[in-house]
Formats: sequence, C-alpha cells, structure tokens
Amino acid sequence: MLGRLESSEGMMRDMDTKKILNKLDYYRIYMILAVIFILMCLFAPNFFNTFNIINILKGMSLNAMVAVGFTVVMICGQLDLSIGSNLTLGAMVVIGLQPTLGWFPSLIVAVLAGSLVGAINGFLVAKAKIHSFIVTLGTMTIVQGLIFLISKGSALSVNDFTLADWLEAPLFGLFPPRVIITVSIVLIFFVLVKYTKFGKGFYLVGGNKETAWLAGLNTDLYLILAFILSGTTAALGGALLAMSISSAVPTLGVSSQMVVIAATIIGGTSMAGGTGDIFRSMIAVLMLVVLFNGLMCLGAGYEVQIFASGLVLAAVVLGESYALYEQDKVKGQRPALMAELKKGAL
Amino acid sequence: MQANTENQDVRKREMGKVSSIISKLGVYVLVIALMILGTIISPKFLTTSNFMNIIQAVSLLGIVAAGVSFVTYSGNFVDMSIPCIMAFSGMIAVDTLKYGIVVSILCGLSTGLVIGIINGTVVGKLKANPIIWTLSVAFVGSGFMRWFYSGKQIYPDVNGGAAAEVFISLSRTNVFGTIPLIVIVMIIFMILGQFVMTKTKFGKQVKLVGSSYEVAKMTGINVNGVVSGAFIVTALTASIAGIFLTSLAKTGAFYNGEGYDFNAVTAIVIGGMTLTGGRGDVVGVLGGVLVIGLLSNVMTLIGINTFSQSIVKGIIFIAVVGINARSLRKLGRDDA
Amino acid sequence: MNEVFSLDMKGVSKQFPGTLAVDNVDFQVKAGEVHALLGENGAGKSTLMKMIAGAFSDYTGQICVLGENVELCSPSAAKAKGVGMVYQELSLAMPLTIAENVLAGRLPTKGKIFIDKKAMREQTIECLKRVGLGHLDPFSCIKEISQQEAQLVEIAKTLGNNPNILVMDEPTSSLSREEVKLLFGIIEKLKKQGLAIIYISHHLPELFEIADRVTIMRDGKKIGTYNIDEVTTKSLVEMMVGRPIDDKPIKVKNQVLGEEKLRIENLTRNGFFHDVSFNVRANEVLGIGGLSGAGRSELARGIVGADAIDSGKIYIKGKEVRIKNMSQALEHGVAYLTENRKEEGLALRITIGENILAPLLKKHTKNGIYSAKSGASEVLEVMKELKVYPPDPTVTVGNLSGGNQQKVLLGKWVATKPQILILDEPTRGVDVGAKMVIHDTIRRLASEGNAVILISSDLPELVALSDRVKIMKEGRFIGELIKEDLSEETILLAANGEGDKLSEDIYAS
Repeated sequence: MLGRLESSEGMMRDMDTKKILNKLDYYRIYMILAVIFILMCLFAPNFFNTFNIINILKGMSLNAMVAVGFTVVMICGQLDLSIGSNLTLGAMVVIGLQPTLGWFPSLIVAVLAGSLVGAINGFLVAKAKIHSFIVTLGTMTIVQGLIFLISKGSALSVNDFTLADWLEAPLFGLFPPRVIITVSIVLIFFVLVKYTKFGKGFYLVGGNKETAWLAGLNTDLYLILAFILSGTTAALGGALLAMSISSAVPTLGVSSQMVVIAATIIGGTSMAGGTGDIFRSMIAVLMLVVLFNGLMCLGAGYEVQIFASGLVLAAVVLGESYALYEQDKVKGQRPALMAELKKGAL
Repeated sequence: MQANTENQDVRKREMGKVSSIISKLGVYVLVIALMILGTIISPKFLTTSNFMNIIQAVSLLGIVAAGVSFVTYSGNFVDMSIPCIMAFSGMIAVDTLKYGIVVSILCGLSTGLVIGIINGTVVGKLKANPIIWTLSVAFVGSGFMRWFYSGKQIYPDVNGGAAAEVFISLSRTNVFGTIPLIVIVMIIFMILGQFVMTKTKFGKQVKLVGSSYEVAKMTGINVNGVVSGAFIVTALTASIAGIFLTSLAKTGAFYNGEGYDFNAVTAIVIGGMTLTGGRGDVVGVLGGVLVIGLLSNVMTLIGINTFSQSIVKGIIFIAVVGINARSLRKLGRDDA
Repeated sequence: MNEVFSLDMKGVSKQFPGTLAVDNVDFQVKAGEVHALLGENGAGKSTLMKMIAGAFSDYTGQICVLGENVELCSPSAAKAKGVGMVYQELSLAMPLTIAENVLAGRLPTKGKIFIDKKAMREQTIECLKRVGLGHLDPFSCIKEISQQEAQLVEIAKTLGNNPNILVMDEPTSSLSREEVKLLFGIIEKLKKQGLAIIYISHHLPELFEIADRVTIMRDGKKIGTYNIDEVTTKSLVEMMVGRPIDDKPIKVKNQVLGEEKLRIENLTRNGFFHDVSFNVRANEVLGIGGLSGAGRSELARGIVGADAIDSGKIYIKGKEVRIKNMSQALEHGVAYLTENRKEEGLALRITIGENILAPLLKKHTKNGIYSAKSGASEVLEVMKELKVYPPDPTVTVGNLSGGNQQKVLLGKWVATKPQILILDEPTRGVDVGAKMVIHDTIRRLASEGNAVILISSDLPELVALSDRVKIMKEGRFIGELIKEDLSEETILLAANGEGDKLSEDIYAS
C-alpha cells in the first residue's frame, strides 16, 4: 500500500499548481490593465498627461457605475440585458424633470425609476421563475419603447450648465466630482458585497442555490435585491452622465450594454455565478477605456476601440470555456492512482 | 401496486394530451383571435392588400426565425449574433458587387457560413454559454464592421456597376407579378425548415440534442456536429435575410438587422418553442411570426404608435414565456 | 431502564407510487453510539435516511428526537432539530472558498455586519482540524482541492452546525486507507461528545472497526438490530441477502460458449482505471462486481469511447479496433446501457418511440429523410418483449414508472441488435416484475450468441445471470470468481477484498 507521504506529495504538488493558476486567474485583470497601460504610455503620443488621465477616468465613470449592479446580478448567476435601457431611463428622467423639480429631486426620481424596473425584473425571475435572459430582454424592450414614446425620439436638454460644469471640473486639480462619486459608490458596494455577512450571501446563492437555501438564506430576496441594485446603479450612472452634459438622448445606453457585459466578464465574473467582484469590474472598465483612449491617441478611430474590446471579450470567454472543457475531462480522478502513475510504480 | 402505477400513468397521459393540444394550436388560437380583433376594429383589415402588407412586413423576420429555430430547438436558447451576421453579409455582398452578382451573393453567404461554423464549434464542442458567446460575436462583428469600413455605410449603386441593379432589385422583384420574392423565399424556408426539422435525420438529431445533450451523446450522435449544423443553418438564413435587407435599404451598414434578435426570439417563443430545446416546430414559429405581424398591423389600425407597439411586444413576450413555464411546471416538468 | 434515545423512529413507513420503500420500521440510535445501517440497494435504507433528513413531508409513523416528538418535514426542520447529513454527492458551492462553504449561513462578523476574516480563518481551521484537514488554507477554493478533501470538508461543514444526530452515507467510498483511519478517529471523538451517529456503508470490514450496533434492512423491512460483536461478516451477508449461505440457488445455465467477441488488454485511463484486461465470449454473461466507486462505469465508458483512454487495446472478434466515440462503438456492435437512466439514458421529455429509435436514426434514414414509420415495427416488437406499460409508443417517457423507464432504456439498446452489450446497473430502482422481464431479455440476448457484460451491485442478479464475475476494486481488476464459487456472499466478500475464492489474476489477461 502506498505510503501517505508519497501520494500526498503528488497531491500537494497538484494543489500548488492549481492554487497558483487560480491566483493568476484572479489577478488577470490587473495584469492586463498594467500591460495595456504601459504599452500606451510607451507608444501612444499625448497619452500620459494629467488632462488625458482625467479624461480616462471620466470616460470610465458611466460604465463603472452600471457595472456595480450588473456584477452583483452576474454573481448570482443571472443576466441583466436591461442595463442599457435603464441607464437611458435615468438620464432622460433626470433631464426631463429638472425644469419642474430641480436637480436633486429629479435625480431621486430617476434613480427610483431604475430601481422599479429592477424590482420588476427581480420579481419575475425569483417568483415567476422566468429565465433572466427573457425577463430582462422583455423589460429592455418595454423601457426602450417607453423612453421613445415619451421623448418622441428626440434628445432632451436643459440650459442650466452650472451643475454640469461642477461635476466635470477637476476638484482640487485632480478628480472631477463625477468620478469621485462613481468610485465612491463602487468602493462602498464592493465592500458591502464582498466583506459583509449579508453581501457574501450573493456569492453563495450564485455558487450553489440549493446549498444557500439549505444554509437558511432567502434566495428569492437575494435575487430581487440584485436586480434592484442593477437597475438603480444603471439609472444613477445614466443620470450622472446626463447631469454632467445637461442633456440626454434616447440612444444613450446602446453601446454601454456590451462594454459593461464585456468588462464584467473580463474582470473575472463568470456567468455561472459565485465569483467576481465589483472592484475588478471597475478595473476592467478602466482597462477598456485605457485601451480606447490609447488607440485614439495612436490615431485609431472610435471603430477600432469597439473591435478591440470585442476581441478581448471573445478571447476571455473562449479561454474560460476551454478551461472548463479541460477540467471536465479529469473530473473524478483518483489522486492515489494518479500519484502511483507519476511515481512510475506502475 | 401495479394498479396504482397504471392509474398514475393514465392520468398523466390525459393531462399531456390536453396541454399538447393547447400548445399545438395555441399560437394559431392567437392568430385567429387577432384576426377577429382586426376585423372588428377596421373594415380595412380584411382586405388582400392589407394581408399582403402584413406578410411582407414579416417576411424577413420569417426567414430569420425559420433558421434560428434550429438553434433554439437544439437547446441553445438563441443566437444573438444574428443582427451582426445580417449586417455583415449584406455589407460583404455590396462590397463584392464589382465581381458580379453571383460572386457577391456567394461571398455574403460565406460570411454567414464562417460565423456559423465558429459559433457551432465554440458552443457545441467547448460548451460555452450560447447567450454570452453569441453576444460576444455580435460585439466583435459589429466592431469589425465599424473598423473595416471606418464607420461608414456602403452603397451598391456607387460601387456595384451592373450587378448593383440586380442586387437592388432582389428585394423588389415580384413573382407572378404580385407576390414579392422575399415572401416566396420565406414560405419556402418555412416549408423547408418544417420538413428538415420533423422529417429528416438531422432534425431528429437536433431534437434529441435539445431534449438531453448527455443522452444524445451516449446514443452515438455527434453532438458537436449537430449543434454546429444548427448554428450554420441559422447563420445562412440570417445571411440571406441580411442580403435582402441590405438590398431593400440600398445601404450596407453595420446597424442593419438591429432588433432582429429580439423579434426572432419573440416569434419563436410565442410560437410555442421552449428555449431549453426539443419542443416545438417551425409551423409554430410561423404562427409566432404571423402573430407579430398581425399584432403590429392591428395596433397600427387602432392608432398605436411604433414605440407603444414595442412596449406591448415586450409585455407579451414575458407573459407568453411565463405562462408556458407555469403550465409545463404544473405538468411536473421544470424545463421551461 | 428507560433510555432516552437520540433518535427514535417508531413504525415509520414511506410509500412511493408502486412501492412501499420503508415498511413499518422501528429504528433507535443512542447518544454516543455508532449505529450502522446495512442493506442492499433497494432495501430501503436510503429512503429511511432521507426521512431523517426531512426530505419527505408524507411519511407515516412517529419520530422522536431526544424524547421530543418531531415532524421532520423539511430539510431546515431536520437541521433545526439537530440532524446533520453527510451525503455521498457533494453539496458544496464550487467557486467559493472552503471557509465560505464550511461557515455558510453563519459567517462570523465584527459588529454584526462586516466579515471577521480572522475569525473565519480560526473557525474554519478548527472545523477542518476535526476532520484532519487542518493543514489546508481555509481560503483556497473548492475547485483547488481534491474530491477526497472536498468530501472531508463536507463533513466538517455538517459538524460545524453541532448536530446531535449525524448521518453518514458511504463516507469512505473515495477515501484512502489513511483518510479512513483519520475519519474513524474523528468519529471516535464525536462518540465521546455524545453524538448519535448513523453509518451507512457497504464496506463490511469497516463496520467491525467502527460500529457499535448494526441494523439490517431488506425489502423495506427491518430484519434485526444487533450488537456488532454478535455478528460476523458471514451472518451479516446472510441477513442482507435473505437466506443462509449454504442454500445454493439452482443454476440453470450450462451454456456452451462461443467465439471470443471482445477482448480488452491493459486498458488504462489515468486516474480512473488501470491495466484492465479481460475477454468475453459469445453466449457468455460476464459479471463485473465491486463496490460503488470502484471504477466500473468509467471502464465501460472507456470501452465505448465516451471517454478517451490512455493506453491499452480493444479487440472485437479478434481484430483490433479503435473506438473513439459512441457512434463507432455502435458500428462495431457494442452498446452501453448507462448507469443513470434519467441523465444519460433516456430523454424524459420525448416519447418512448423516439427514445428507442434514437440510436437507429441512420438505419431508418433514406436519402436524408427519416421515417419513424419504418422503425415502428421494431419499437413495438421491443416494447412487446419487454412488456412496457402503457404499450403506447407516443407516451412521454417522463410519465412512466421507474421500472417501465428502465425497460424502455434496455429496449433502446436491444433494438440496435448489439453483439456486445454492456449493462450498468440494469435493474436499479426497478420493481420486481420489471426486473424479471429485464433478466429474461438479458438471458435471451446471451443465448442468441451475443456477449453480455453485466455491471451490477445487485448481488442476486449477478449470481443468477453471470457465468463468471470479475471483481474490480479501486480502478483495478483484483480477481475472478468462477461459476462454481459464485454466490452473493463470495461476491460481497470479494468486492471488499476478502474471501478466499478470489483467483488472483492481476497480470493474467
């Protein structure tokens, strides 16, 4: 009978490799960001200066905000396709109501509108047990229709630019308030979801719903909250953007959708659920914006950006699927047998 | 003991019959209901020209839906890269018009073929999540088109030469002087699709894969090939629809095809197909397409504008899936 | 002396459509004892355990926990009453860390809100130490540890809830000797802490090491409860199978065996099975016995190409073949009836006819057009032989009883007219009537010149049908039992690695 030491040596070695790979996988987004950032600093003209960095941060704000809620939805193993329309909703409502209610109240209404859509999504997924793909595809169409209906397809704008100027101007010469607000919200929810007892529940629900239920968690509540958060942060992000340019168009959210989905996945959240976090989603958004910005400095047009980020996403999805494919092949292996094999005792 | 079992089996069978009747006719009940509604609302409804309008409006959707129903039937939900395939095929076709109409169309179709093969392999062999993957493909494709053509549209009459005439006329030809070519193509595809799905070996294999991937694999079916086949069929039909659409719009653009993903899913779902696969048929999908067409027509006659119509479509979409899921669950099957 | 039992089940029964799985059973477990529950597959012990776990809301009879009458109608109710379950299948959340799994639902906090990572680490290590995994990093993911370690983590998780009653279902099936010793050490500690432990296992030798008392079940009824020193392996086996060992059943077969149909040489799939060699001849039924987890299903999958093998050769009728997938296997006349009929065997959402014809699509396709009609007669023929009820090929398989489903599954493979048929647990979860029909069909197939490989944990079945039985243990063939030595007792003993009837043939082919 093979001694425990020998077989466990082999097992330990395997475990170490697995651990290292896992850690690498976790930090991949930081590595990608670092690589792209350095490349751009080296090769892109006009890239590394205060003004451009601030531009990058501004550019990341909208999608980083939307990604906050979307990430939580994906952690629960669900999909939210209504984020684009929710963000447009937030933007249009805040601008539309500003003349009557003033900035702050209309912001509240805008955000609540997003929360309402999120609540509907969550309820249909958790209680009516309809697949999230269907529900959010449906609400996206409905909300989009509503937006176009009410705005009659045209852009909205207000003449008050004081808030816009304030939101976009660097505070203390560094970061514009919009960026500060966005990053603050990202950090707050990052901590809430990843470091509180309640927040951890999202990961368990996504990791294994059955286990979560058996452990006493109210899985329906978690799902509903996830979607409410997604609707809220999407609307908030859209509203903030609209406030910073004092206008909103009905097609605002179209491109965001893909970027947010891409960033969340690239940042390490898998659709299977149970992994990922809000901070890395923001880093992934940042990475994409750095990529876009750098390409622009290099003279590449807006079009290349979309193409490039699409390629990164496809690569990540492909990589993850392939890894799962390989993993599946060796599921159920006996370590004792494998260890004997490696020892050449056979 | 045996009696207990027998009673249970019989009871389950009866319930199965009723619900299968409902799901078989279900969508056509809606079709008939809508037609009645339309007749009540407006005298303009029950006219040949109105019906021609309806069918024409949905013929492109019908072509797409006939194809993508295979992806759904195979248990892979839906192909979100359809709008991208449509746009891309159209643009490639326009771009290659200078080599003649035949080459142009072949190139357009090849574009779809290539994307279909890629989709099929990634989803079939690597078992990637079909929604996420096809969304990624849509993203890459759309990005590629924007980059390659610098964000611009391309026009057949500018590039094409003689072939351009033919290209533009594709979507404007009428067979027998009255019926548009597109409609004929849709009808052919529907018939073909139904035939392939229900009467060919491939169709049966798709059904098995959609009913249970694992069982199909252990039964000797080449699941990778079947799933690839489904995605290829979808991509080819999307290509054809895309070429027609581009011809109709006289413009090759990356945004062509927008909305076809949602509308195709809606048609399929209303038509009684479950997104988890193995259930439904193309006749049902045709019903779903007709419902969408009739719905739009009736709503327009009532005076509801386009935006409100999409709201109604969204609500019906969720409602139909929800009801379907509920009734299936009541029968003890949780596979909606 | 009136002892209060930790668990006292009085006259409990559970009815399923078509079977009385548990029939008026009395079962008591004392605090601080390890009480083994024995019985063959289908004896009712897993149903009894599920009852304790709160899986059924419709059992009859009374259950008392620590003297208190309780209703164990849901998993959370059972948990609240101090029942801890350790199942064979893992119920861990894979993407999460060990700590998050072990402490699921009761994460330690600083000030009730924020996770106390230090406390998490400490508490998890404490739990892990109880199962000998104190050396693991509590923050490594479940994905990173081996299945064996995961099984121990599962135990640690259950222990963390401080149960009074612990039910362990085959806890050692994939553990190595050392890990088993560790587990037994843990169990000893738990005994001293007053836990009542119910231990389900087929590994008879282990029971003599760890159990205090043993209850044997058969056909849903309790046969008896004994102190462990009152029984021997032989007497336990006798009670499990229901008759004294010396009573050999009349063997009907005296078949003349035909040509060699299948020969396997040194088949290896790294980590699953190793260096397996055997052959089967026409008219022969080769049984493959062994404990669950021995690797028999993996072997079958390797032979038919469902999984890729790493080395070894396969010969059919003397000619070497390469089988890369199930389709090629079918072309060579090899069919495989899978172990789990619901996941890999039958597509429950479609009809009987569609399921039966599934492997025969090519046959009934002419010019690409598939005609179910041409296969209709085959379907009816098969359904008739196997007495499938209801005899209607348009019925959805999901609506059939377990026995009928299994018959349809067998029918599917029979219809392919295989020359080599591999059966994996062909009568699991099947009523007596269906079992008889299935056995008759298996005999018929063998007598018509085909080779049958029978993988089964059902001992009477193996004895009744096999001409000889190979025993598999931990991925290897450890020997063979010839016809004369074939009995339920010898198979069970051999599967545990005991018994003197086993002929060593590790290096023979």
